[in-house]
Amino acid sequence: MYQALLTRRYLSSKIMPLLAAIAVMLCTAVVLLVWSIMGGFLVMLLDAGKAIVGDVAVSWPTAGFAHYEDLIDRLEEDENVAGATPVVETFGMLGLPDGRLQGVTVQGIDVQSYARVTEYERFLYWKPTDGPTPDDDGVGGDWRADEIGPWPELLADGLALGERDRVTGEFEPALVPGIEVAGFSRRDPESGFYRFGPVGMRTPEGDVRWESGFLPFLELTLNLVPVDRTGRPIEVVTRSYPVANEFRTEVFQIDSSTVFMPLAEAQRLLRLDAAELVRQEATDPFDEAFGQVEVLDESPARVTTVFVRGTGSMTPAELADRCHEIYMEFERERRGQVPPAGATRNEPGSGSIQITTWEQRQGMLIGAVQKEIALVLLILLVISFTASFLILAIFWAMVSEKTRDIGILRSIGATRAGVAWLWLRYGLAIGLIGSILGAALATLIVWNINPIHDWLGRTFAITVWDPKVYYFSRIPNDVEPVKAAIVVAGGLGFCLLGALIPAIRAAFLKPVEALRFE
Amino acid sequence: MSTAAAPSTTESSPAPILEARAVAKTYHLKVGRFKREDVPVLHGVDLGVEPGQWVAILGASGSGKSTLLHLLAGLDRPDSKTEGGVFFESQAVTRFGSRSLDRYRARSVGLVFQFYHLLPELSVVENVLLGAMVRRGRFAYRRAQPEARARATELLESFGLAHRLRHRPSQLSGGERQRVAIARALINDPKVLLADEPTGNLDHDTGQAIIDALAAERERTGRTLVMVTHDPQLASRADRVVHLAEGRIVETSRTEADPS
Ligand SMILES: Nc1ncnc2c1ncn2[C@@H]1O[C@H](COP(=O)(O)OP(=O)(O)OP(=O)(O)O)[C@@H](O)[C@H]1O
Ligand SMILES: [Mg+2]
Repeated sequence: MYQALLTRRYLSSKIMPLLAAIAVMLCTAVVLLVWSIMGGFLVMLLDAGKAIVGDVAVSWPTAGFAHYEDLIDRLEEDENVAGATPVVETFGMLGLPDGRLQGVTVQGIDVQSYARVTEYERFLYWKPTDGPTPDDDGVGGDWRADEIGPWPELLADGLALGERDRVTGEFEPALVPGIEVAGFSRRDPESGFYRFGPVGMRTPEGDVRWESGFLPFLELTLNLVPVDRTGRPIEVVTRSYPVANEFRTEVFQIDSSTVFMPLAEAQRLLRLDAAELVRQEATDPFDEAFGQVEVLDESPARVTTVFVRGTGSMTPAELADRCHEIYMEFERERRGQVPPAGATRNEPGSGSIQITTWEQRQGMLIGAVQKEIALVLLILLVISFTASFLILAIFWAMVSEKTRDIGILRSIGATRAGVAWLWLRYGLAIGLIGSILGAALATLIVWNINPIHDWLGRTFAITVWDPKVYYFSRIPNDVEPVKAAIVVAGGLGFCLLGALIPAIRAAFLKPVEALRFE
Repeated sequence: MSTAAAPSTTESSPAPILEARAVAKTYHLKVGRFKREDVPVLHGVDLGVEPGQWVAILGASGSGKSTLLHLLAGLDRPDSKTEGGVFFESQAVTRFGSRSLDRYRARSVGLVFQFYHLLPELSVVENVLLGAMVRRGRFAYRRAQPEARARATELLESFGLAHRLRHRPSQLSGGERQRVAIARALINDPKVLLADEPTGNLDHDTGQAIIDALAAERERTGRTLVMVTHDPQLASRADRVVHLAEGRIVETSRTEADPS
């Protein structure tokens, strides 16, 4: 009883507990802040990384493998597979209107099935939305929410991966680059929405002229390098394509370096389409065999990768194992025509087909972030221990200051346990106040992290969160209640730890000596 | 009935309520890193206090008066080799475990110090109630709260502090603080009140007023009172005066209670 009264009075009449509570508050706030942002970052990364590649990939890079339709049929027969889609993956150089050449990952996709396996449609950026509408002068709001705009047409183009010819109504092949590839669509730091702005155009004289423009209304040049069967480059092929739309996953690395194109177009340019291997009988026009073509071999169309999406009944790893079984059967029936199935599903460089989960595919990305989070949490743990010693020091000082009170309490009959509980309770109270305030502070900061960060950037030119480093163009701003609870509990625990030793000291103080204390 | 009659009491007197038998106390001082120095303070104190008696302990500064009082209050333990010890109602306080000792301090004796020893964060009435809070557990105190409050107010009123209940100790004069401390010592209605130079820090008139208040309280309740002082004039107010010198009770004088 007296403990409650004294705790209350000590808390309200001393500067020390205030300092201790502030120390606890700052510590819990920092831990929760960093954990929330890093954790949110990983969640975003996983979410986007998975959504763009499906659950499992079956791949045979560069050369590609044939009979993929058969493989896809077999895969889709399995009850655990929701869908599979063929993809041609390669590297290319994208020529921008201002003359820049940008290295990109090119994905030739079959847009209908690709949209079933991945969340392609969600990632298409230019489409009608019901966000806040912009003002008359186009300031603020989401431009896509404006009813007068090409948004429905752009969405249709994006979903068709083509541009509709106004006359014939046919779609001609087009590209969908990531929204950060060209850099002409800029993210408004305050709202997070993309705006289109001036576009650099290369003049015939070689200068760059900036004029207002919008990437989906422009053309891009794509340079690809097909390779022959031995893997040797043939010659660079260059073609211009209109832009159907742009996509945004929010993973900066993907958004700044990926371009989608129609599968058939990619196969054609890379010579992965169906072909016949022929021998011309004679090269001499006077030879009677001239012009006669002997078909030596038929080469069916190939893709480098098949993305598989599960129904959710299996983990990605289990699904990958299942895909491996299906592939082994497929390979048994087409021995020699398709890449060999390895004994296990993923042995890079083993000369067998690679079957990987999306986590393995994005492994570099995820692994780096996971290591980073582990490191940061380790540092935070050390910081928390430091804070615990800080609390210990503050409590030690407070107990010293209150030594006489302890003697008085003991002289009127307070027990050792009672006095120890007084200090533990005091520590608990400080911990509770500090960690709850800290959690609240961290929550407020995290919720407003993007405006705060933009304000820092505007006012002090400080950019902590560089999208080029952290993949995402937006800082995660979600606080999970579970994390907050854990951090508050942790703060309390460290406070108890800090208060424990002084409490024990108080309990074992001899009452006479405590009373004599000056 | 105590079997061993204390030497300092005559055969006709009733059994002592509080008794020191051959109490010795030596402080062990640490001198330097490895050396220890023994400071013998009490060499075998025999003192029996009869129920309702007012005993004054006189002695020079440093003679061990406070030490003796702390031993009587169960705040400290005498040297263990001695076969005597402190007895309260014939029970060996010296042999109490730490829990029993806590209970002894909470219920049987009340302590008043020279330097008041009030808790500065608590108001006057809270300081007084502290004794009741410590004695009862949380729930028992909740139940007994109105009763305890009434007693605290009553005590403070009887000491002329009715208008200062909500004040902080720092807002009171020394004499007022000492009266609060006495009220705190009395809240649990202990059988014995132990006062260590209750007027030592006060001017003569205020000291007299404190002694008057103690005398009046004792008049009302017949409480046993052991008071340490080095002021012979104040000591003369007591029923009995003992002198502490060289670690022993050297002289006992029984003054017939002076009514004035
Ligand atoms: N904790 C301790 N350690 C060592 N010596 C002590 C300790 N407490 C008291 N003493 C010594 O014991 C002796 C008696 O001290 P005590 O406080 O009992 O005297 P006192 O009679 O109450 O004096 P005063 O009238 O000044 O209050 C003193 O010489 C003191 O130095
Ligand atoms: Mg003294």
